[in-house]
Order: sequence, then C-alpha cells, then structure tokens
Amino acid sequence: MSDTIDEAIPQALREIGPATKTKKRSGGRVGRVGWPVYVMLGIATLISVFPLYYMFVIASAGASAVTSVPPRLYPGLNFFDIAAKVFDTVPFFQSLMNSVIVSLAVAVIASLLCALAGFAFAKLQFPGRNTLFLIVILTMTVPSQLSVIPQYLIISALGWVDTLQALIVPGLASAFGIFWMRQHMTTTLNDELMQAARIDGANSWQIFWRIGLPVVRPAVFVLGLITFTSVWNDFMWPFIVLKSPELFTVQVALKQLQANRTIDLALSMGGSFLATLPLLIVFFFVGRRMVAGIMDGAFKG
Amino acid sequence: MSRRRLAIPAAAAALALALAGCSSGGSGGGSDDPNAEVEFWSFTGINQKDSVDKYLKGNPDAKVKLTEVGSTTETATALTAALAGGKVPDLVMIQNDDLPKFVENAANFVDLRTLGGDDIGDKYLDWAVDAATSKDGAIIGIPTDVGGLGFSYRADLFEAAGLPTDPAEVSKMWSSWDDFIAMGKKYTAATGKPFVDNVETSIFFSTVNQVTEKYYSPDGELVYDTNPQVKDAFEVAVETYEAGISAGIAAWSSGWDPGKANGSFAVTIAPSWLLAGIKNAAPDTSGKWRYASIPGVGGNWGGSVIAIPARAKNPKAAWQYISTMLSPEGQTTHFTDTGTFPAAKSALESSEVRSYTDPFYGDSKIGEVVSDSVLKFKAFYNGPDTSAIGSALLNTLVDMEVGNVKPADAWQKALDNAKAAIGG
Amino acid sequence: MSATIATATTADIHNGPAPQKKRGRPPRDGRRPIRQHWGERIAPYAYVAPFFVIFIVFGLFPLLFTFYVALFDWNPIGEQTFVGLANFERLFQDDRFWNALVNTFGIFLISTVPQLLLALGLAHLLNHAALKMANFFRMALLIPYITSVAATAIVFAQIFDKNFGLINWVLGALGLPAVNFLASQVGSWIVISSMVMWRWFGYNTLLYLAGLQALPREMYEAASVDGASGWQQFIHLTIPSLRPIIIFTVIMSTIGGLQIFTEPLLVSPESGLTCGGGRQCQTLALFLYEQGFGQFKFGYGSAIGVALFVIVVVVAALNFFLSTRTRKAR
Repeated sequence: MSDTIDEAIPQALREIGPATKTKKRSGGRVGRVGWPVYVMLGIATLISVFPLYYMFVIASAGASAVTSVPPRLYPGLNFFDIAAKVFDTVPFFQSLMNSVIVSLAVAVIASLLCALAGFAFAKLQFPGRNTLFLIVILTMTVPSQLSVIPQYLIISALGWVDTLQALIVPGLASAFGIFWMRQHMTTTLNDELMQAARIDGANSWQIFWRIGLPVVRPAVFVLGLITFTSVWNDFMWPFIVLKSPELFTVQVALKQLQANRTIDLALSMGGSFLATLPLLIVFFFVGRRMVAGIMDGAFKG
Repeated sequence: MSRRRLAIPAAAAALALALAGCSSGGSGGGSDDPNAEVEFWSFTGINQKDSVDKYLKGNPDAKVKLTEVGSTTETATALTAALAGGKVPDLVMIQNDDLPKFVENAANFVDLRTLGGDDIGDKYLDWAVDAATSKDGAIIGIPTDVGGLGFSYRADLFEAAGLPTDPAEVSKMWSSWDDFIAMGKKYTAATGKPFVDNVETSIFFSTVNQVTEKYYSPDGELVYDTNPQVKDAFEVAVETYEAGISAGIAAWSSGWDPGKANGSFAVTIAPSWLLAGIKNAAPDTSGKWRYASIPGVGGNWGGSVIAIPARAKNPKAAWQYISTMLSPEGQTTHFTDTGTFPAAKSALESSEVRSYTDPFYGDSKIGEVVSDSVLKFKAFYNGPDTSAIGSALLNTLVDMEVGNVKPADAWQKALDNAKAAIGG
Repeated sequence: MSATIATATTADIHNGPAPQKKRGRPPRDGRRPIRQHWGERIAPYAYVAPFFVIFIVFGLFPLLFTFYVALFDWNPIGEQTFVGLANFERLFQDDRFWNALVNTFGIFLISTVPQLLLALGLAHLLNHAALKMANFFRMALLIPYITSVAATAIVFAQIFDKNFGLINWVLGALGLPAVNFLASQVGSWIVISSMVMWRWFGYNTLLYLAGLQALPREMYEAASVDGASGWQQFIHLTIPSLRPIIIFTVIMSTIGGLQIFTEPLLVSPESGLTCGGGRQCQTLALFLYEQGFGQFKFGYGSAIGVALFVIVVVVAALNFFLSTRTRKAR
C-alpha cells in the first residue's frame, strides 16, 4: 500500500535524481552570464514590480493622473494625504489588525497541526495510515468555492457568522500543509535518529516535540509564511462571512474602497497599496527564507 | 504520559468552548426599551449619518449604531445572510430593487402596523407603500426616499448645437421618446458627439419605469415576455442606439464620471439621488447643467425603505427612530439638509421640496420636476424576480452597446437571458 | 553501537517497543512499558485527529452537504423544497452555465500554458552559477505572489481600461486603435489571465529553478562534449528531467485555475456579479457565487458547485493520467 502513496506525485518529484540525497545543488550552469540574460531578468523584475509601483503613482498623484495623456508614471507628493483618507473612509487600521490576527492565528496553529499530522503520516505506522493520507491528497483537488454554501450554513448554525473565528477555524485544515510537512519529515528526520531515540525510551510525542520539530523547524517556518500569505490574501470567504465593517479583513475593506473607484480612483489605489504594504514589509525581512523554502519544497516534494 | 501532551488538546478544547460561548450571544425576544441601542444598517453613499446625528441630538438618551454595509446589493446580501442565520440589525435599509424578494418572505420582518397603527400607509406615496406590503397586507418597510426622474443636460453644449436651453422648452421639445431621438440626431449631426451617455440606464430604465404593467400582471403572473409595454420600452432603447446618438458609456464605468466633466455626452438620466453625483464628478461645470422632466409621464428609479427584522433585539427603539426621522416632517427636514427627496406625500407637496433649485443646475426647478415625476408615477406590481429580469434585459442592452449583440436580435436575446435568469 | 540496534526493526522505530520485548535499560521517565505501549498505539490517531476533526466539520461535511442542498430549491429566508435532480436538469440547459464553463477553461488555458512556459524560460536564465544579484531577482519575482488579490484586480482593470488604460495608450502611440478589452469575451479573458499569470509566474519559476539546480552538471557537460547545442540540451535534457516538477505545477495550476473568482469579481465594478453584460468573463466560481449569494438560489448554486467539483476532479485526474502515461511511454 505504501507503494501506491509513493506512486503519487511526491514520488514523481523525488525522481529528480541522485543529487537530492546529497542535498547539494549544482548551483546552475557554468560560464559567463551575458548581458541579454540580465536584460531579460530585468524585464521580468520590472513586470513583477510595475503594478505595485503604478498603484503608488496613482495613489500619490491623485485620480487626475489616470486621465492624463500620456499617462503619468512618476509618483506625486500626496501619498500621506490619500493614506489618511483611506483610513477615514473605511476602518483600515482595524482591518489591518483583523488580517494580522486571522493570518497569524491560522499560520501558527495550522503549521503546528500539520507538523503533528505530517509527523504521524511520515514516521509512525498505524492501520489506516495510507487511506487517511490518500483522503488528504484528494482534498487538495477540491476547490474551496465548492462547499461555500453549506460551509456558510454550518457557520450560521454555530452562530459564527460575522465573527473572526469563522475565518480562523475552517482554515486550520490545510491539506497542502500536511502534504508539505510529511515530505519534509520523511526526508529530514531519518530513521537512525528515531532509532536512537526509541532506544532511549522516548515515546512518539517526545520524538516529535524534542527531535522532529526542531529539525524541520525551517520547513515549519516556511509553511507558516506561505499560510500567512495565503490567508492574508484570501478574499472570497471573508467577503461572504463578514458583514460588520469593524471585522473586515484588509481585502474586504479594499472592496469597500473599490465601490468608490469611479469617484476616487486614487483612494482605492491608495488602499490597494496599503493593503499590500504590511506583507511587503514582512517579505523584506523574511523574503530570502521564503524563496529558499519554496525552492526546497519543489525539491523535496 | 507527558502532561504536556494533554495540555495542547485541552487548551484547544477550552478555546473552542470559549469562542462558542462568546458568539452564541443572546437570542431573546425584542426589548421594549425605547432607548436601547439600535443597530442600523444602511448603504454607502446615502448619507444616513446626518439623519442619525440629528436624531441623537433631538433624543439625547437614544443610542444608534450606524453601519454603512456597502452598495445596495451588498446590503441586501448581508441582510439575507443575517436573516438566514446570523445576527440581525434592528433597522435596515432596503433598496426598492431588492425589496420584492424580502416582501415575499415577509415573515422575516416586523409588520410595522403593529408598531405604528393602521394609518402609516396613508402618509406616504401609495405605490411606495404597496411595494413594501405583503400579500397579507403586512407593511414591512417605511419608504425613505424616492428616485424621481429627470434628465440632466449640458445647456452650453445644447446651445452650441443650436438646441434650446431653457428646461421648459427642452421638455416640450422632447415630449415623446421619438422626439427625444430626433433631438439627439440633431445634436450629433451638429456637433459630431454623442447626445446621451448610454441607452440602458438613461433610456431603458426610464421607459420601462413608465409602464402601467411591468414584468408581472397585477395578479402576480409573469408577463415580461408578452407585455407589449415592456417590449416597446426596450425597443426605444434599441432605436436610440441605432440612431447613433449614444456614447455607450455605462453608468459607474470608468468613463462615466470623466464623461460628465469633459462633455463626452450632453444628457444623462438623473434620478434625484444621482444629482449629487454629477456635482462630485464635474465640479468645474457648475452652472452649465440644467434639469428637465423626461419624455413621457412620470417615473421612478430606486428609492428605499427602512425595515425592522423580526428577530431584532430592540424593535421599539428602532420604531422610535423611524417614527421620528421618517415622518413627513422628518423627511422634509432631511430633504433640506441633504437633498434626498422624501417619500411622504405631504413632504413632496411642501413648498420646501417643490421650490428646490440648485445653482449647479442653473437654478432649474428640480423640486417640481422630481415631485411631479413621482406623484404622477403609476405603480406596477413587482414580483420576486423583477430585479433579475430587469438585470437580464439591461445586460443585453449593455452587450449591444459594446457590439456583441446586433440591434435586430437584441429583444430576442433579452428574452432568452431573462428566461435563463428566472429558470424558466 | 550495542547489539540492540541490530535487532531493532523498522516497526520498532516507528511504533515504539512491542510489548513482549523487554528492554535492558528502564525507560528514562520511569514509566511501565505496557501503559506506554497503549499510549503509543493511539498516539498517531491523536496526532492526526485535530486536522481530521476540523476537516470533517469544515471540509468534508460541507462538501457532502453541497450535494444534499443541490437537490433542493433552497431559499435561505423562506422555504426549502425538495426538487430532486431538477437543478441539474436546469443547469445543463442553462446557457449561462456553458458560457461560464467556456470562460473558465479559456481563462485557465491562457493563464497556465504561456505562464508555465515563461516560468521555465526564466528558470533557465536564473540557473547560472555566476549570476549576480541572484537573490534579488528571485525575491522580485515573488512580489506578485504576495500582492493583495483585490488590489491586483483594481490595478489591472485600470491598466486595461478602454479609455485611460496604459495598454491602450501604448497601442495609440503605436498607431493602433484602442481595444475595449472587457467588452469582448476573449479580451476579458486576456485581462483576467494576465492577472493570474502575473501573480504566479514568479512562484512557478522558483519551483522550476529548484529542479534545474538539482540536475547534475555532468549531464550537461557530457552533452556538450557530444556536440549538443544549448537549445537541444534544453529540449532533450532539461525538460525531461524536470518532468515531475512540471507535472506538479500543471496540476496545481489546473486546480487553482478552475477556481478563479476574485479577479472576475473585481475587474469591472459596473458589471456586478456577471462580469460583463454578456457574462464575458464570468467563471464557474463567480457564477456559483452569483446564483448562491446574489440571487439566493442556494440549491441552484450548490448544483453549480457539484458540477465544478466533478470538472475539477476529472480534469486533474486527466492531467495526472496523461502525464503518467507519457512517462511510461518514454
């Protein structure tokens, strides 16, 4: 039965080659890097960054920037005015807080739950293990929009409509997270370590908490980052569930600003920029880890 | 076993219990305290804040928490979601397009006759009250405002095209829709620019709201596809498009507000609640606009009611707000403060309302035009799918204006779309 | 080490000591082996339980309930009447459903195929040992991934705007007529797809880069010695070796691509939930939302949900089988 699991995508990804065992990457092709490469990468960078920059331009220059011909491409001086207006129009600071609370809660709790479950799937033998894991894999194919209506009815029955826990609790069951942690646990927590621990009489909890978790801590951290980002950017579910503006997350608050789009484009652009700013700041500090983590994920996946 | 191992699941369970406890708040029956805190959901852009502030000034012991939920549709969605299983507000604004669905399920709301007596209906426009009355005669909402119709037009552009500029003359010149189209052709021939902003909202939503029977018969049967009045109303819009006098700029699209400012079109429909929008979009054109009654007789687009959900915690306090602020006097005052046209009959006939003018619109007799428009308006029955059918027809016109549908096929396509929309 | 290592089996490592084996050394925490063993048996279930409890309540049950609600005419504030398969009958005859299906696939194809190719190419470029500012480029590529989805929709709608958009300004500068992207079906697909492509191409580039960097240098050196050109190496060495990662990204993109909701919703405020007067860019997910939460036809909306589920499963399975078969055919 374990062959079936290994037949699935994870195994496919592990077939990259013997290099995986040594965990040493070749680092890429040798030879000089010609300037065309830099040009193309530069263009890619420009494309990546331009929309964010353009948001800032319109926000700081006012809506007139949009209707000017040729279109304006340099920022103006009014950014702080617009930012102030954004904060006045919708409870933006409150929504930032809400987003932080929800994203952090899900990121932390889900990462730990997934680490725990991933550990069990990776390192412990128990009847039904493979069936349960298959179910987990299958749920990754199910888009979240599907069960939106019954999910809403369940949330209503629980009395959780228009609450933050409605955003947090359902998000804790991340199939992707389990998949990710299982892979990392399998490759990083090797059998010899576990053997030694067993001999010392450790039970599985101690192995997890004292050995497994510390070893895969980087992977847990990256999972947390990825989860944080995806919950921060989640729009549909908060949009459906939240009705009180003081509970809005940043994305939903942004939609409120969008209603005024034709009236004041600068306002909604300013809001858009501010909605991404916190994540940008976080990214500035942990971006490298995120990059490394995503690349490792492909690797070990 | 390690105690730590039990700690986390225990903490999680405790947290879950705590959260569940926090949220399942009181669901007890309504309280009778007229000064209990009233939770009031309104849409954005309708400036209920002024109203609420005034109420609180006049009633210092009262408490009102106003939440601007979003657009009219979003507020209706939120209300439905709340009625289906969440916490409901004490007061909620419902726009007339969304009203039929709620009236059909009137059990979700308080019959306001139980709070305010039997004569409340008499104070307001008949058709507005009818729209909020269920089959059993329960009145679930008090009308707050109306959307009397008039055309806003740029007098300076008219003059440049050799058209009259005085509102009375203009109204006479376009007394029928055919005359309107002819006038538009004259304008476009003279200036080379479009006359009207679009056909779906400016033309269709005007013509289709002037009928005596719309998508439903008075008994509630669906007649949208057989009713010649609906087809005629639709065809007027198609003809306007075919005459080449429409700018094809949809309402609330990106080109709409700039269009008001830079003269991309000379005429746009302006129900009373859009008057302020033109001022905001084109402040530099102050004084160049005029306001005249539309072709045909009467009309109304929009308007809202305020209702009290059945599960509201503080219905008495909510009713106190309604009876104070939505009374004819209250609505007249609100009008003088914010320009929102009242739905109360005596308010509409009051001198404050009828004499209303605005220098932005060249002192046109806005008050008269709007109040005449709604007073002459003959109601038609709105069923639960009125809004869906209307949207389907409107969207077909939008599609036609961008070139995806040929005018000759438009009506049939509209019927098909409407049929699909209601599950016919 | 000691002899105990040699006798310990894999099962021991994963399950803890079996009851009959006696350990020479007493357990460190001084507990009896028997109670420890019972604890060890339920431990795995306890570890996966939190996930499964939440999953069953908020994941599995709603999914099953969707199937149930789809059999009803379900008015959330009124009555619910059982209608059997009527919703599905109506769905298959509903032009709007087929329109949404076409839109979904159109957007999915345009946003996935060019994007993954681009990502592959970029990964190839980034895969230089001597590349300066490598980390800078990698981080820059992730910026779209962290940008707020709602914000992206607003900006892109502005960029593609028919009156004031940058794209149309560029077209005008080149002497070409302005294009009203959102008016036509394919045009609106282009707008939505560009949003999706922009968001994910950096992420996928990094995945491919990781795969590329794992490839042994010797493979390329040998090929060079044999006289293979860079392009030939790319086609015959790089791509086959990356096949597993490519499969992974294709499947993840498929699943994501079939669910697109936010971008069509926010791209044109005046279109409401239909994304265009003719529903030019209304995807299945948006159609579901429009029917369920816009029109309050929960039953019909759930039927759309069921259809979407079937489509996703079928397409994902198709992708998987195709890729497995081609692998074996090699």
